[in-house]
Parts: sequence; structure tokens; C-alpha cells
Amino acid sequence: MAGRMLSQTPVSSHRASRTKKIVKTHLKALLFLAPIFISMGLFKYIPFFTALIKSLYEWNGANIDKFVGLRNFIGLFQDTTFYASMKNIAIFTGSFVAIQLVFPLLAAVGVFHMAHSRLQNLYKLLFLVPMVVPHIIVYMLWRWIYMNDGMLDRLLQALGLESWIRAWLGESGTALWSIVFVNFPWVSGIYFLIYLAGLIAISQELFEVGKLEGISGWQRLWHIELPLIRGQIRLVLILAFVNQFQSFENVLVLTNGGPGFSTLTPALYLYKKGFEYNEFGYASAIGVVIFAILMVFTLVTQRFVKPAEKSD
Amino acid sequence: MKKWTLGAALNYIVLTLLLVLTLVPFYMLLITSLKYRDQIVHQFWLPSFPFHFNNYVDVFAQIWPFIWNSAIITAGIIVCVLINSTMAGYAFTRFSFIGKNAIYNLILVLMMVPSFLLLIPQFLLFKNLGLINTYWAQIFGPMAGSSAMATMLVRTFFEGLPNSLIESAEVEGAGDFRIFGQIVLPLSYPILSTVAIINALLGWNNYIWPLVITSGNKVKPIILALGNVSGPLDQVQGMQFAGYVIASLPLLLLFFFATKSFIEGMTAGAVKA
Repeated sequence: MAGRMLSQTPVSSHRASRTKKIVKTHLKALLFLAPIFISMGLFKYIPFFTALIKSLYEWNGANIDKFVGLRNFIGLFQDTTFYASMKNIAIFTGSFVAIQLVFPLLAAVGVFHMAHSRLQNLYKLLFLVPMVVPHIIVYMLWRWIYMNDGMLDRLLQALGLESWIRAWLGESGTALWSIVFVNFPWVSGIYFLIYLAGLIAISQELFEVGKLEGISGWQRLWHIELPLIRGQIRLVLILAFVNQFQSFENVLVLTNGGPGFSTLTPALYLYKKGFEYNEFGYASAIGVVIFAILMVFTLVTQRFVKPAEKSD
Repeated sequence: MKKWTLGAALNYIVLTLLLVLTLVPFYMLLITSLKYRDQIVHQFWLPSFPFHFNNYVDVFAQIWPFIWNSAIITAGIIVCVLINSTMAGYAFTRFSFIGKNAIYNLILVLMMVPSFLLLIPQFLLFKNLGLINTYWAQIFGPMAGSSAMATMLVRTFFEGLPNSLIESAEVEGAGDFRIFGQIVLPLSYPILSTVAIINALLGWNNYIWPLVITSGNKVKPIILALGNVSGPLDQVQGMQFAGYVIASLPLLLLFFFATKSFIEGMTAGAVKA
């Protein structure tokens, strides 16, 4: 044995040291990755698979834990409350996406073309400030705007429109649209920033050429700006959809889903089923369905997105 | 010098209108936070003298423990995310190992999982760990999810660092921990501050998770405590609003002192989703 090792010394010690080095690299990589492995595995992956599996269980988190197959999902597809929440989230998401495609863009184009750079910076900063206020505080503020004798009622009084006054968040006819109107005029800082970044990236020469040709502001918008920030518009579309589809903090603070189910969203329904009724299995099934919808949306948009993004 | 055209004037008018409408609720927040009830009733739209700064003093006496809680939780989240993401980012940049891409993707794919799906199992997990109503639960829950995006940002940044510095340190016999701590981290200040700001927002604004995982007042964050401000009937509305202003101040200050990092953090934070 000793002789064989001696005779092969040059090759094998070389190989051995290489193997040793590879092992050492792996150990070091593992060491550096240990914190994220532990935190993600424990706090993300275990809960994720728990949610998937428990959607097939009747489960209250304590003594009831029984496999029921697809019964939660079958129940869900016959659940009129779930359908009501899907209808509401469709309205919330549809209007939110449409709004975010228009108003922040309008503001970004306006700020981009301001001639005085100091004023331009001031406007930009002021549009961004609301983004820093915690959104829960913004919702509580809007609850105050809508409350009885709140800001909106006061405004209507001042305009002589007392007959319009109603319990904005308390009537099923107005509650949903009142929530849509939160943050009016909807220039949300983050989408404003995305559009602005796109506009700044447009080559200045294009605007010079346009100016020489004598194009109007509308032509500039339609033929130069909109085509060139298509990537940003698509991004806002995706972000606005994904964010709004998951939203329930706004509804939780403003109406708690009421009156009745008129403003309930699927995510809020999950929350209530889980933490008010302890139906954890059923709640998990709701979560899985929303997750599936979001995944399909993301995959579909990515399909449509890819070819166009290359042309940018 | 550009001329004032009709288009430019129209632009200013529309923008100013949008801006004013956007800011009206915050203007009302500020002026109302300084009023007593009769001032709100009689002078609704305008500031009204005398300014009652004691609204601020009185509400601060109630909410400071919760501000302290929020500060601890936010700092904890930032520290954990920075540890996770910089160490992982270093591993992905410096070492080649089996399954590197698969592991990286396993981390990133979690950004697609909506947080509400995990709400119930995470709640039960922390319950079983005996961590309900602790700072730990409020730190660990959000930081795990946020580490994914941070790892992506940090890795991208590390890969852009000049290799020559690291190689010369290696030649001089510096180990990975020294290279990591003394060369890579000090060079990465911009990305570290971006990650810190994203997580400051996340930690300070988090609402649902603490709502689920805390009860009672001991570790409650400020955002939850704002709903329970109480005071004399005359003063309570003003005090509540003063509380809103105080709770917004830390992030506002951060915004004004680090506008550039803040904007980068916000954009990066949004684009990840």
C-alpha cells in the first residue's frame, strides 16, 4: 500500500488536493448559504407545502385534522360567498389596473416635460411623498374622509349637494366604488417612478427631431413616448394586477368586507375563514386557488411580454 | 430659455390640479392633528388658532412604547435580511458548486408565492415554536420572504465588483471571511442601503402579520396601536391624527435624507414582484 502510494505520488496527490479543494469550496458555500437555507426552509418552504397539503384536509389547527380529498375545492366552487368575492376582486383589480395605466402616466409625462428643472424636482418630490406614508395610515385617513360628517360629506355640503350625502362605506351600493376611489386621483408614487424612468431613458434626439418636425404634444405622446415606454407600461400592468389581486388590507381597514359580502375579496375571505372560523383547510384551499390564478396570469403575460421586450 | 406656450401652461394646470388633489388628505391630516373638536367643527378646511401641539405630546405619551417595538422589529428584519442576502450573494458570486442554479432558483421562486397563502401555516408554525407574541415572530416571518429579493439584488451587485481587488487579496492569503468582511461589504454600501430601505418600509408598514401573531400590548407595533388611541372627547380626533403623523415621521425623515437610495429601493422593491 505504501509502495503504491509512493509510486503514484505525483498524480494522486494532485488529484487528492483537487478533490480536497472542491470539498472545501462546497463546505464554504454551504456555510455562507446556511442562514438563508434555514430561514427560507423553515419559514417559507415548510409553510408553503403545509398550505398545499392542508388544502386537502379538514383542519382546525388543533384536534381536527382529517384528509378529505378535493372536498374543500368542490365546496369552494359551490360557495356563493367565494363567487361574490371573485366578482369584487375582478372589479377592484380591473379598475385599479386601468387607473394605474392612465393617471400616474399622465403625471409622469407632465413632470417630464416641465421646463424649469427646479420646479420639476419639486413636483416630482411632492408626488412621491405620499408613497412614504404607511399605507394603513392612508386607509385610516380615507375611512375618515368617508365617515359620517367626514371630509366628503363636508365637501358636498359646501357645494350645496347635501342630497348626495350617504353612508359611503356602509351601503352596499356605494361601498365597493368608495374603495375604488381611495387615493383619488390615484397618482401612486411607485408607478409614477416607473413611467418617469422610462421617459428619461428615451433618446433626447428623438424629441429634437420631433420638435423640428413641429409635432404637437399629443402626437409626441402617441408616436414617440407611448411606443418607447411600452416595457414600463407592461410592467405596471403586471405589478398593478398582482398587487391588487392579493390586496385585502385596504378592505380590512375600510369595511372589513361589508356590508354583507359587498366588498369581500378572496384574500380577506381566506383570512376570515382562517382566523374567525378556524376552518384552516378550507382557507388553504382558497389560497391555493388564488395562487393558481396569479401563476396563470404571470405565465400568460410573460408569454405575451417576451417577444415585445426584445424590440425595446 | 423656453417660451411659455399654451401647451406648457395647460401642462402646469393639469399637474398642479393632480398634485393638489393628491395632497389634500395629507393637508387635512396635518391641520386636523392640531385641532380640538370645536375647531374641527367650525373651521374644517383651514388651520385654526391656537395650534394644539399638546395633541402630539399627549398621544406620544401613549404610543412611544409601540414606536420602540416597531423600531426593534424593523431593525431586526433589516439585520437578518442583510446577513442572509450578503452571505448568500457572496456564495453565489465566489464559489462554483453543484446545483448552484437550482438553489438560486429555489430561492427566487418564492417571490411568486403570495404572502397570504402562507399566513395560516406560518401562524401555526410560530405557535408551535412558542413564539406567538414575541419580537422574534414579527422579525422572522417577514425577513424570510424579503431575503429572496435581497439576495437577487446583492448577487447582481457583487458580480459587478472588480475582480482584481479580490484576487490580490487572495494572493496575499486572505481567507473568504476576510475578503467578505473587509473588501466586499465595504464596497457594497449602495446596495446594502437599498436593501435596508426596502426592509425599513416593509418592517415599519407591516400590518397583517403582527395583527395575526400578536395580542395584547407587549410587543405590538405602532401601526396596530394607532387604532387604539384614546383621549378626552374634545381631543381624541386630533390626537389620533397626531399619532398618524408621528408614525409616518421616521420614514419621511429617511426619505428626505436619503432620497436617492430611497427611490432606488422603492423601484427595486416594486419591480421584484
